[in-house]
Amino acid sequence: MLALDQSNLTLRIGSIAVISIYSAVCLLLLGILLLRFIRHHKDRRRRVVTETWRPLLAQCVIEVPDTLPPLTDRDRLVLLYLWNHCYESIRGEARANLKELARRTGTDQLAKQLLHARRLRRRLLAVVTLGHLQERSVWNDLAAMLQADNAFVSLVAAKALLHIDAKAAIPLLIPVISRRNDWSPLKVVAMFEPAGADIAAEAIANAACEAAPEIGARLIRHLAATQSQHGLPPLRALLQKGLPSDDVLAACLFLFGECSDPRDVATIRAHLSHPTWFVRLQAVSALGKVGVEEDESRLLALLEDEHWWVCYRAAEALSNLPWMTTERLTTLCNGIATVEGQAHLLPFMAQSNVERRRQVPAIPPQARTA
Amino acid sequence: MDSPAIPKLRVLMVEDEEDTASLLTFLLGRANYQVIHAKDGRQAQELAGTIAPPDIVLLDVMLPFFSGLQVLTYLRALEGWGKVPIIMLTADGSEHDIKRALENGANDYMVKPFNPRELTSRLKRFVDQAA
Repeated sequence: MLALDQSNLTLRIGSIAVISIYSAVCLLLLGILLLRFIRHHKDRRRRVVTETWRPLLAQCVIEVPDTLPPLTDRDRLVLLYLWNHCYESIRGEARANLKELARRTGTDQLAKQLLHARRLRRRLLAVVTLGHLQERSVWNDLAAMLQADNAFVSLVAAKALLHIDAKAAIPLLIPVISRRNDWSPLKVVAMFEPAGADIAAEAIANAACEAAPEIGARLIRHLAATQSQHGLPPLRALLQKGLPSDDVLAACLFLFGECSDPRDVATIRAHLSHPTWFVRLQAVSALGKVGVEEDESRLLALLEDEHWWVCYRAAEALSNLPWMTTERLTTLCNGIATVEGQAHLLPFMAQSNVERRRQVPAIPPQARTA
Repeated sequence: MDSPAIPKLRVLMVEDEEDTASLLTFLLGRANYQVIHAKDGRQAQELAGTIAPPDIVLLDVMLPFFSGLQVLTYLRALEGWGKVPIIMLTADGSEHDIKRALENGANDYMVKPFNPRELTSRLKRFVDQAA
């Protein structure tokens, strides 16, 4: 009797377990179906909004139509993506039309709401949009975002501030650039692009002067990318003021070489005998770019430097001097007292010979056979 | 009596980004161009082999499958395409691409983001020159 009761109980437990598993599987399937349905519905809605608004945005580049289709809040979010893409594809007066469209559709208000959204993607979208719209009312919010833990958020906020008012944003940005070592110098240079190369160069140079040596040196090296001489005066002042770190000094010399301003030749020459080898190396490379004929002897002397890289760069600098010819290089090489010094010049002499041969026009096949 | 309609000029536009393509199609359509759109380098090459040379080509540098520079070389080698003006669309700062494109037979380039007015006026200048 007891055994029968026990088998009934086991059967009951078993059937309950099976039903539970089936129910769970069914619920899971239902959940998946529901999620798929929602996703499908969202995609369809996004497609409809995109198909409606893409041609309208194109039309707005020329003129904003008098009547615009109605939009729900969700549609506005899709429109924000499309609007930003369109805005970033064009230049000139057409952008004013797009700003008008944003205000008429209320997307500017949505962007303000999204500025404090939980989702990072939406927050970034809001920052970018408000920057494009040059929305001054969010200036303080964007300035606070410069301190965000997420480097990407802070960089996008910095860019938006520059879009809104470049002159007012730069004093805010300089101390941040000097402090944040998670900002890539390349991104920093790119961030300043809309503000103009000269403003960018000056701001980056000022930030570099205030920054820790490792950040400052990185920023100075990337200043060359702005192709502006406006960054040079703060750096010259920095070198005159006192003793910057070797890293900063080397970076400054690199930049002086890239900018090739004759006013910096004296500074470059002064560092040819610096005790740190990588400072001497940058001075040698820079002198190869801005040096005059009298610098030949200085470069020749550095072929005997104790550090191999300095010798190598000195040889390279000599061979790159604008007036240098293969014959002149050979004469200079013959005049070097040590074999080591000559050895540094030999590869560059060979290279210049090859290049000279390349410049000689090829003999036509028929002439060769003749 | 209606004046006879001005025949539309044909432009082959090679652009992969849908938003940019839509914008260009609108701008070019408005400037009385008939747009033939290729979405990538492969489609551009396939299309070029089947259509008569257009009046002008607008070619993006960054394309899937074949780059704009490869498409440019291909188009220039096709019979009848040697004198078709080709304008490259390039991202800001890619000087190397610009140099290579001009060396490989492109007539001009436009940097993205572009000014819509400048784009249509530049296209018109080349079409007028070719005519």
